[in-house]
Parts: sequence; C-alpha cells; structure tokens
Amino acid sequence: MDTADDAMLRKFQKELNAGTVSLVLLAILERSAEPLYGYQIAKSIEGAWGEGVPVKQGTLYPVLRSMEEHGLLSSRVEPSVSGPPRKYYSITDRGRAVLGDWKGAWARTRGFVDATLEGNGG
Amino acid sequence: MANTVEGYLADLRAALSGADPALIQDAVYDAEEYLRTAIAESGPDAGPDAVTAAIDAYGTPEEIAVAYRDAELTVAAALRKPQVKVTQAAWGVSPLARFFGIIMDPSAWGALFYMLLALATGILYFTLVVTGLSLTFGLAILIIGIPFALLFLGMIRAISLAEGRMVEGLLGERMPRRPRIVAAEGNLWQRIKSWLGDYRTWTTMLYMVLQLPLGIIYFTTVVTALSVSAAVFALPIVQTIWGQPVIRSLEYGYLIEPWAMPLVMAVGVLGFFATLWLAKGVGKVHGMWAKTMLVGRFESGAGTEHAPAPAPYVGGAL
Repeated sequence: MDTADDAMLRKFQKELNAGTVSLVLLAILERSAEPLYGYQIAKSIEGAWGEGVPVKQGTLYPVLRSMEEHGLLSSRVEPSVSGPPRKYYSITDRGRAVLGDWKGAWARTRGFVDATLEGNGG
Repeated sequence: MANTVEGYLADLRAALSGADPALIQDAVYDAEEYLRTAIAESGPDAGPDAVTAAIDAYGTPEEIAVAYRDAELTVAAALRKPQVKVTQAAWGVSPLARFFGIIMDPSAWGALFYMLLALATGILYFTLVVTGLSLTFGLAILIIGIPFALLFLGMIRAISLAEGRMVEGLLGERMPRRPRIVAAEGNLWQRIKSWLGDYRTWTTMLYMVLQLPLGIIYFTTVVTALSVSAAVFALPIVQTIWGQPVIRSLEYGYLIEPWAMPLVMAVGVLGFFATLWLAKGVGKVHGMWAKTMLVGRFESGAGTEHAPAPAPYVGGAL
C-alpha cells in the first residue's frame, strides 16, 4: 500500500504548500535588493533547500501572478536574449505590510503545531 | 513525457484545454520563460538532458494546469466580490429596482466609457494598420522594409495586449496579461515569417480596422441616447422658465400640459437608465468579440458577429 500512502503524502504536501509558498515568495522578494524574475526566484528557493524541493517550480508562477493581482507585488517586463521577455517582480508597500501579518500568523501556527507534536498541549 | 520545449507547451495547452484562452496564454508564457531560461543557463552545448531536467523541475503539465486553475479561481473570487454583491442585492428585490439598480453597476459605467473611448481608439488603430500595411508593402522591396515590418508587427502585438487590458478593465472580460508568444526563437527572418503565418496577427489587424466603424457606431449611439434623454428631461423645465413652447414645427408650437410634465421628465430619466442597460449589453458582446479576435482559437461561436446587436440585455446580462 506504498502508493496509497505516497498519494496521501503528496496531497498533504500540496495542502501545506498552498499557504507557505506565498509566504516564502513574499519573503524572498522582500529580502532581494532588486526585482527578480520567475526563474531566479525558483532558483533561489532551490539553492536554499538543496535537492528535492517539495515545490514544483512551475507552480510558483501562478502564485506570483495571483499576488500581483492582489497588489502585493508589482512587475515590469524586460526583453531577454534567451527566450520570451522576462517579467521582473518586486514587493509593494502593501506586500510588506501583508508579509508582516503573515510572519506573525506563521510563528503562531508553527508554535502551535510544534507544541502539539511534542505533546506539550495544544 | 515531452522532451522538447515545444512538446511540453503543447502538452500544457492540452492539459488546460477548456480553460479560458487568456489563462492558457498566460500559463504558456510563464512556462516558456522558465524553460528557455533554464536551458540557456545550463550552457550552450547542453543536450536533451538539460531540457528534460528543466521540464522535470518545472512540473508535469497536469500539475501546472491544476495550479493555474486554482490560482485563477482565487483571483476571480477576490476581484469579482463587489460585482457579485450588487447582483445578489438586485436579485432579491423587484424587477423595477433591478432596472434602476444598473446605476450602481460598475460594469455598465465601464462599458459606457469604453463606447465613448472606442471612437478615439478606433481612429488610432485604423490609421496605424492602414499606414503600417501600406508602408510595409511599399517598402518591402527596399532594405528598410524588414526592420519596418518588424516594428509594425511588434506594434500590433503590443496594441493587442493593451486593448485587452482595456477590455478587461472596462468590460470585465478576462483577457491575457502577457503577450502572445509565437516561435520566439530563430533568426529575424524566421521570426517575421512565424508572425506572418500566425493567423492571430491577421485577426488582430482586422479587429483594429473594424474598431473604427464600431467606434463610430458606439460613440454616436451613446451621445445620441444621452442627449435625447437629457433633452426630454429638460423640456418641461425650459418651457416653464422660457414661457414658450419648446417643441415647434413651422409656426405651430406644442405646449406640454402641466399635468404631463412629470411624465415627460420621467421618460427622460427612463431613457438614461435604458442607455446604461444598452451600454452594459454592448459591452458584454464587445468583450466576447474582442476575445474571439485577439485571443485563442475560434472556439466560442458567441462572439463571431461583426456588429454587436445594440439590443439592451434587460435581464441575465451578468
């Protein structure tokens, strides 16, 4: 029944990613001194994690797009030699404010989950 | 699994089939940006392994399709909230309140504004296409012909995107947020050829040319409807102030009876609300028309008529 368990694991990982990927992307863009394009962001995640990143890089793009629609990111397009023009994202003031809130929510969630897993109450 | 960028993009299109054509265009754009950059980064002599590795890291077409569909649902829900609220509130009450509720509907105002703007954009687009086409063919035999054709085609693509943003902003039809990619590799000559072979280039030009007659119709309709409504509303007021009949035919004048004055004014107000409904209906049809001509394939037969019927969508227009 390995495959069924694997499927459960993948589903769980996907649900975890649904919230954390936005947080990670926003944090990367806040720390970056200059605007980044999709591939650079994907690479910096891979660089920080090493092999076996639990996020498929293609799934980052729709999240970036969606955060731009919500006004957390802004973007500009620049031509490139290797392919289509690149879309460079940078964080907006609203994005910084939202990231602050999200960091707080993340710290609370992490504390709560850790405490529950260690059996110190919840 | 695909082992070329083109193959992967075709698979991604297939996985997204049935989704909004504008969404597919955006998704394909993102995937192409990533894959081409990843392959370029892995060096000039990178073999098929680099392509497979890039595709593997990006995710299977199915995974990516799901991610885009999910993100689209979230964004659509977040952006459409106020509109939904208006409709629900309007549905709850009588048809009369629903009719007058149009004044709170941002899509009607957006469409009204678009119809007025269409004359200006129509003149601009028409002039650009006619001038561009004639100069391109005229200069084709000279060496300057190629850069000029490139400039002209680039402009068509840029305007297609800009018009799409305007249609989405004012008419509420989901349009691409990225330009359309057609074979972004190869030398200059191959690029020009691929653009010329892309039927979307030609439908875009046709859309731009037809924007002038449409713009004239839209502008005239809106200006006429608004001024007639305003004039009818003002008739009794002017007559009262002036003390003379306003409606005249040769030497005969027609005085509006005092009891009829509120009725005449009410007709003017009705005309104004009817204009808003008309604008909303035209906006809806023009949105479908723009999507048919500027994005994707000729899938939805809904927008194929050239001149949108200027019939008001009284009911079920959302």
